[in-house]
Amino acid sequence: MPTSRDPGDLLQGTLRILILKSLLLGPAHGYAISRWIEDTTGDVLRIEEGSLYPGLRRLQDRGLVSSEWGVSENNRRARYYTITRAGRALLRTEASIWLEYSRAVARVLRAEPSLA
Amino acid sequence: MNAGPTPRWRRYLGFIRPNVPADVDDELAFHIQSRIERNIALGLTPEDARREAIVRFGDVDEVRAALVRHDERQQATERRAEYVADCAQDLRFGWRALRRTPAFTLAATITLALGIGANTAIFSVLDAVVLKPLPYAQPDRLVTLGQGSSGEYLGLRDRLRTITDLAEWDPTTDPVDDGRDALRLTGVAVTANLMPLLGARPFMGRGFAPNDAVPGSGRVLMLSYATWRREFGGARDVIGRTVRLQGLPFTIIGVMPPSFRYPNAGVQYWRPYVIDTKNIGLMWGVGGKEFVGRLAPNATLDQARREVRAVWPSLRSANPIWDPGPEYRRDATVTPLKADVVGASAPLLWMLFGATLLVLLIACVNVANLLLARATARERELAVRAALGGGRARLMRQLVTEGLLLAVIGAAAGVALAVLTVHALVVGVPTGLPRADEIVVNGTALAFALVVGVATAVVFSIVPAVRATSAAARASGSMLGRRATASKSHARASAWLVGGEIALAVMLVVGSLLLVRSFAALRSISPGFDPAHVIAARISAPAATYAPGSDRLAAFYADVLDRTRAMPGVRHAALVDQLSLAAPVWAQAIRVQGQFEDVTHTLPLIEHLQTVSPDYFATVGIRMLRGRSFSDDDRAGQPPVAVVSQSVARRFWPAGDALGKRIGYPFDSPWITIVGIVPDTKQDSLRDTSTATMYLPWSQRTTMVGSELWLVARTTGDPAAAGAAIRRIVHDIDRGVPVSDVRTMRDVVSSSVASARFTMALVTVFALVALALGAVGIFGVMSYAVSERRQEMGLRMALGASAGGVVRLVVGRALRLAAMGTVAGIACALVATRPLDRWLYGVSPVDPATFAAVPIVFAVVALLASYLPARRAARASPADAMRDAGVRSAG
Repeated sequence: MPTSRDPGDLLQGTLRILILKSLLLGPAHGYAISRWIEDTTGDVLRIEEGSLYPGLRRLQDRGLVSSEWGVSENNRRARYYTITRAGRALLRTEASIWLEYSRAVARVLRAEPSLA
Repeated sequence: MNAGPTPRWRRYLGFIRPNVPADVDDELAFHIQSRIERNIALGLTPEDARREAIVRFGDVDEVRAALVRHDERQQATERRAEYVADCAQDLRFGWRALRRTPAFTLAATITLALGIGANTAIFSVLDAVVLKPLPYAQPDRLVTLGQGSSGEYLGLRDRLRTITDLAEWDPTTDPVDDGRDALRLTGVAVTANLMPLLGARPFMGRGFAPNDAVPGSGRVLMLSYATWRREFGGARDVIGRTVRLQGLPFTIIGVMPPSFRYPNAGVQYWRPYVIDTKNIGLMWGVGGKEFVGRLAPNATLDQARREVRAVWPSLRSANPIWDPGPEYRRDATVTPLKADVVGASAPLLWMLFGATLLVLLIACVNVANLLLARATARERELAVRAALGGGRARLMRQLVTEGLLLAVIGAAAGVALAVLTVHALVVGVPTGLPRADEIVVNGTALAFALVVGVATAVVFSIVPAVRATSAAARASGSMLGRRATASKSHARASAWLVGGEIALAVMLVVGSLLLVRSFAALRSISPGFDPAHVIAARISAPAATYAPGSDRLAAFYADVLDRTRAMPGVRHAALVDQLSLAAPVWAQAIRVQGQFEDVTHTLPLIEHLQTVSPDYFATVGIRMLRGRSFSDDDRAGQPPVAVVSQSVARRFWPAGDALGKRIGYPFDSPWITIVGIVPDTKQDSLRDTSTATMYLPWSQRTTMVGSELWLVARTTGDPAAAGAAIRRIVHDIDRGVPVSDVRTMRDVVSSSVASARFTMALVTVFALVALALGAVGIFGVMSYAVSERRQEMGLRMALGASAGGVVRLVVGRALRLAAMGTVAGIACALVATRPLDRWLYGVSPVDPATFAAVPIVFAVVALLASYLPARRAARASPADAMRDAGVRSAG
């Protein structure tokens, strides 16, 4: 989170936003989430895919996502995650903080003297 | 990504519990597999595709372990929460179900409460009185040797090797005067080693020292804790205070702790027993002293018995002037102290405990039966729930929860009942129950009864649940159809249960009837005197002021008699040394002129000797058969005279006339002439068969009896009213003379059978409870049968059966049930009531009248209990029955 000085927290906060945002499209399994992040960021924010699952468990423990077993497009058993009402509310709050933060950083970076 | 059905094998696994590691593996494998497939689609070789996928993923094993750990923790939490929620739901549902059927709930609760309460109460008494060890150091090593004299005591103490320490105590009681009003305390004289022998230390002050017990000293006493609190206000400065005993000053030196109550809880003080070793010859043969000892560390009871039997008879050679013959004390025995203290109470309490076990058993059978009937009635409900997907385990848990709830409520009521009953028992038991003050509600007993009660409720909730749910599984298709097989087997089980219940109740009723008949027989015995209109009072003239044989003593009692006779409404008044039926009246060995004159040989024993004043026979209503009563002329110095009862006269002079014959004390003394013959009277108890009694005039015996006498008076009106006046008369003459035990003779006679009445009343209460439970059982079974067969009854009536016919049908079934139970019960009772023999008087344990009455009693109970259900059956209209049948087949 931006308010924290711990880079680990910052990373986790980022991961959380990414997961929750990906689930706005609808229920998805872990692989689909990682593919969505990959495609949307053009593979810039590459996350270690293994950390995705503990992250999902933490979100589930806090009631931000729920999960159930289903069958994938290619007919395989997969666990599907769905964003909850609480997850949407948190995403909205955190998204606005993130946007404000990045706008502020952008303003700083564009200010005189220019970097070039 | 549509959520389809889980594979079948998974569902099966999930039935036991979710397989966490497998799920985690599935999830991770799906991810990596998907990535590999994409990589291959992007053109990588399979090996590169796999390597790239795993690199992207990171440490698979670590992630997997973390997820498994997390998911398993999660699972456990969820299961716990679910379980708690289910239980809460079960309890709520169970409570609602019980509330819906208040009659059932009440019947089951009361039944359980009665069973648990009665059983716990009696076991508590049994445990406190019989089972618990005595509150002394190493109580199982303590023994009693019975009674003897101080000379024998010294001999035994010095010679016995198997008994390390021997103490003696004298059970006679003395009044205590603490300087205020006359205060009557009951105490015993004990040798100084008694308390150390029992392992008891004083609570306050000091114990007896050896020099407290030498002749010339011994004017000290110790108080019991209860007496110190009650009579002396628990004052610390009581030590050193002086009280008067037999007119002599005694110093209080100590107070014993509350747990010390030897020889019984009635003892209020202890004083040293002084043995005059210089004049020990005089103390031989003056028996009645109790011996208590401690077994040597390695000695067994048998060794001690052998030694006592060898040593005791040899003691007589130590004393030249007293020889009771070579067989003296050859039969001496050593009894564990507890057996001696508990005595006759043990078999009585075991018998009562047996009775309450029957009650508990009946209660359990009754609860089982009620639960069965209820389960049958709910079969449809259960079948529907099972069909709607209520799992079998879940349904069973629901039913067991209901059973437990019922058991807990019943048990709580039972505990309350036990507490009340124990209190009532402690207050209500007739005197003579030892250790009564140690009785408290017993935890073990409570636990036992609770376990039995709860187990019954649970087991008989599970059985119908298993049946109902399996029946439901079998018949899930036609669940609303006729429930045939299960009901029939329930009905059969119920009939068996009720039959068994009746059999158990029969045993209790037989026992109760036997005791009632025995008690009636006991009460119809005439004591041989007329207790109506007679009052008695114990007058304890202190020996120090009124020495036995002194003129002062004679004048005192003459004054008491004169003033009592002068009271309005008093017709006769007399004195007697030992009141009949109040306590054992002692025996006396005698010489008989011309028959038994040699004092060195065994002399005949007259079972009872009473020392009386002239008007005694008229006062207590004993008529003279022949000769005369005592008169004022039979004074000291005049020719000694006696009155004997009929059986004495018959025993020694079977052919001739006892009048004018002569008898004597068992030592060299003038002959005593028999001047009158009276009927035999009961002396020790109404059951007493040894009623031979010899009466001697008090004026010729004042030196041989104590200064304490009973005053008896015959009144024209209510004798109890004279009690206060008698107390006043004695108080007016000398306020230092305590008057106690002011009782009417009717009360004395009635108290002498108090323990028989107590036994009878308790067993009768148990029998009534058993009868009531049996009636409830029959009622339940018949009600259920009638409701099951409503259709059949309606059909019968439609086909022309009369209402009376239907009633007869139902009642007849109940009678058959009762008859089977009664036959079984009587068969058991023929064996089970044998041990009652010792409490029966004038009735055989297989008394035909009793055994004949029992079937009648149970027939009446069966009639009453089945009449209401039968009436209901007879009222079932054919139309109702048909409609009911229609609904069933339509459903």
